[in-house]
Amino acid sequence: MIIKGLTKNYDGKKVVDDISFEIPRGKVTALIGPNGAGKSTVMGMISRLIGRTEGTVEFMGKDIREWKSRELSRKLAILTQSNHTQMKLTVRELVAFGRFPYSGSRLTPEDEKMVDQAIGYMELEEFQDRFIDELSGGQRQRAYIAMVIAQDTEYVLLDEPTNNLDIYHAINMMKTARRLCDDLGKTVVLVLHDINYAAFYCDYICAMADGKIARFGPVDEVITKENLSEIYRVDFEILEVQGKPLSIYY
Amino acid sequence: MKTAAYDQNNRKLMVMAVLVLLAAAAYLMINVNLENSRMFAYAMKIRIPKLAAMGVTAVAIGGASLVFQSIIGNTIVTPCLLGMNSLYTLIHTAVVFFAGSGSILAVNTNLSFAVDLVLMGAGATVIYSYLFKKTNHNILYVLLIGTVLTSLFTSIQTTLTRVMDPNEYDSLLTTLVASFQHINSEIILFSIVILGAVVFALRKELALLNVITLGKEQAINLGVDYDRCIRKLLLGVALCIAVATAMVGPVSFLGLIIANLARQLLRTYRHSQLIAGTICFGMVVLIGGQLIVEQVFSYGIPVSVFITSGGGCYFLYLLLTNRKV
Repeated sequence: MIIKGLTKNYDGKKVVDDISFEIPRGKVTALIGPNGAGKSTVMGMISRLIGRTEGTVEFMGKDIREWKSRELSRKLAILTQSNHTQMKLTVRELVAFGRFPYSGSRLTPEDEKMVDQAIGYMELEEFQDRFIDELSGGQRQRAYIAMVIAQDTEYVLLDEPTNNLDIYHAINMMKTARRLCDDLGKTVVLVLHDINYAAFYCDYICAMADGKIARFGPVDEVITKENLSEIYRVDFEILEVQGKPLSIYY
Repeated sequence: MKTAAYDQNNRKLMVMAVLVLLAAAAYLMINVNLENSRMFAYAMKIRIPKLAAMGVTAVAIGGASLVFQSIIGNTIVTPCLLGMNSLYTLIHTAVVFFAGSGSILAVNTNLSFAVDLVLMGAGATVIYSYLFKKTNHNILYVLLIGTVLTSLFTSIQTTLTRVMDPNEYDSLLTTLVASFQHINSEIILFSIVILGAVVFALRKELALLNVITLGKEQAINLGVDYDRCIRKLLLGVALCIAVATAMVGPVSFLGLIIANLARQLLRTYRHSQLIAGTICFGMVVLIGGQLIVEQVFSYGIPVSVFITSGGGCYFLYLLLTNRKV
């Protein structure tokens, strides 16, 4: 996925300003940055949820706007922060929606198998017949991730997947993102607030500030004392833990 | 995916269908002179069209309400918000006010049905198709416009009735409450044709309803052309409500009740089952209500009194028990 000159105006105010970068295929990439840096807006634009003002988003040789929505949904999946539905839906039924781009509402035996796999992958077997609105936040998040897995797309975009999760579930979420990439060969893009999650579990980091890309590159290059102090405008210390940069801020 | 809940719901729907048939049979047969074949034929000639009209109303209002709630993503909104009820009231008041209660527009039921349908259909198309596009597909704006228009129509209508001749007002009042008394078979047939056309035109969008209820982002993620789909469905809902209102009068409050009864009974996301359930409930409520009106109160009270008072209580119950609203 190649992003060129991507810009978004809201009422004349530039929220995302002329952003260009390429998302490395088969890697985990994190978008980080302070509040209002435009991370989620970029995520929305590259996944066709939000319209753009200028620029191009080239995905597998074609601009994302020229893709048929149904075909695109077999190649690229997006999970946003707010997921709630008024419907009475069990976990299994939710996960089965991931097969909609392939088979519509009538699932084939092969689809059922994919649904089983996705549920197994997220260890949701014991919850699969429970209603979504009766689950805890962490369980619900996992159910939605399972749906994205059932969708079986090469690109998986997750907008703040660790939001509202406790440390245990947040770490598990990050490990899942890692496994999606390592075991299933997917390209994962995440918006994250916690720099250390990004540093420990991702390959590339795109740090944004004021609607522009401040730094983009492999973790080691981006997570330095100078870079982070400049982006977040607070003091940082970088320690090395298990060969990864751990940042401390105060 | 066929689950136990799915089969169980199908059984519940069968029971509902049997109840509908029983209610229909009761409506046709109670207090009918079976020995005198000419009396029997006469009773059927009156009762069968009414029964058909109730069926059409249940389908139009029930289906439209359920779809409307799913589009908005809220189970306690009523399609009254679309303003069709107050537009209907305004049209009828204006006709009596300007042309008089003896004019052909007020007396000829077919003509008045046609006038209602054309005006409401045009209104619905402008508001719910054109404006929806203009507001960048913001459904809340459109609903707000609907609410504002409802107040506008109601205030104009009240002003007209204030300065109206009291005798005229008296004759007007009977047309402003929902009733199944003055419906002829041509109107019923015409309504069925329009409803059929709307459903046929929307067959693809209706199949997407399950996905749409997951929310805008999820629907787009799963490959639904969301804005276009919502616009078509909204227009279809407005047209269905327009047809039902033009036929029997303001009844769209009924939709809120029967859609929620169906949701409570079936507890599913499958719209095929929900819509079927809503229609069954609609038939039972309408036929039951009409039966009481005719046999107990001998036409003293219009059926909408039961619908509104019963529905009001149920609505309060929903608000008080459903804390997640």
